[in-house]
Amino acid sequence: MRWRHTISVCLVLALTPFPAASEEADVAVRDAWVREPPPGMTMMAGFMTLRNNSSRPQVLVSASSSGFETVMIHRTIVKDGMTGMVHAPQVELAPKASLIFAPGGYHLMLINPNRTLRAGDRVVINLEFRGGLVLPVACEVRK
Amino acid sequence: MMTIVALAATLAGIWLAASDRENTSRAMLRPDRVMTVFPDPKPMRAFALTDHQNRVFDLSRLQGKWSFLFFGFTHCPDVCPTTLAELARARDDIARNSVGAEDVQFVFISVDPNRDTAGKLGQYVTYFHTTFLGVTGNDAQIAKLAAQLDAAYQVAFTPGMENYPVYHTTTVFLVDPRARYHAMFTPPLDAEAIARRFKVLRELEGAKAT
Repeated sequence: MRWRHTISVCLVLALTPFPAASEEADVAVRDAWVREPPPGMTMMAGFMTLRNNSSRPQVLVSASSSGFETVMIHRTIVKDGMTGMVHAPQVELAPKASLIFAPGGYHLMLINPNRTLRAGDRVVINLEFRGGLVLPVACEVRK
Repeated sequence: MMTIVALAATLAGIWLAASDRENTSRAMLRPDRVMTVFPDPKPMRAFALTDHQNRVFDLSRLQGKWSFLFFGFTHCPDVCPTTLAELARARDDIARNSVGAEDVQFVFISVDPNRDTAGKLGQYVTYFHTTFLGVTGNDAQIAKLAAQLDAAYQVAFTPGMENYPVYHTTTVFLVDPRARYHAMFTPPLDAEAIARRFKVLRELEGAKAT
């Protein structure tokens, strides 16, 4: 039963028209999530794993979302024994490489959500790359 | 005769096992990437802050409990929530030990009193753990505690700017029940490792006191 299911999935993939398969494309995002904000807080961070499938560098230049007043790309840094955040004007993904946005490093800084977000909710954030590629990413809110 | 030899051997075995355990415990407390224990803990001096229930939080509040202190601010989207979530897990882990967590407190010290009122602080810290305390004061009061721990922070307050940057140390400071700065934890913080080391330290210090 399980095998038949797997085979049918393979068949569907095999029968998918070629252009759709190639659109699968240059940059892939997985494990995108936003940390649930404590009550009353309007600042939160989003994390994800980006993969550049293409053979040329891809440059993330901005992010936006209709769910937030402001979305910025930030990086947590440590300087003089203190941690802080700096705005990252662009983030370059090397060819065929992955980059992880994770606590303590790169993150999407999300300010003023237009509704109260709780664990289990989903928000879409659009990642914009140099050259015009826009990638909508569905992020799960997690505690 | 045989009985005496057997008894002596058993006792020696128990003693060896006990001293081995002691040595293993001591070995676990050597400075490493998780925790640094100071051989000569430094007595804390007077300071006065206010907790999220508007009670005075001064030197006397550090006495009789192990205190985990962390400096930050509620508008911090990355490091502070990460740290507090990890400390909440550490606290739960410590509570599962037979000694429990009655003699332990976790204190979040906001270095951003301009935005972090008592009400906001309370909502914020108790979201991570119902037992957590939020504490703050004016700049001079915060500095008086921070200086004793070499806790670095900087508030780039800019009038008219809503999201001004705040920089702060990521170290978690541990003050013992005699109000002495006893150890520190440096990132990457791991709840399980913190709890494990803390339980060993508490056990050894408890044994010393009796």
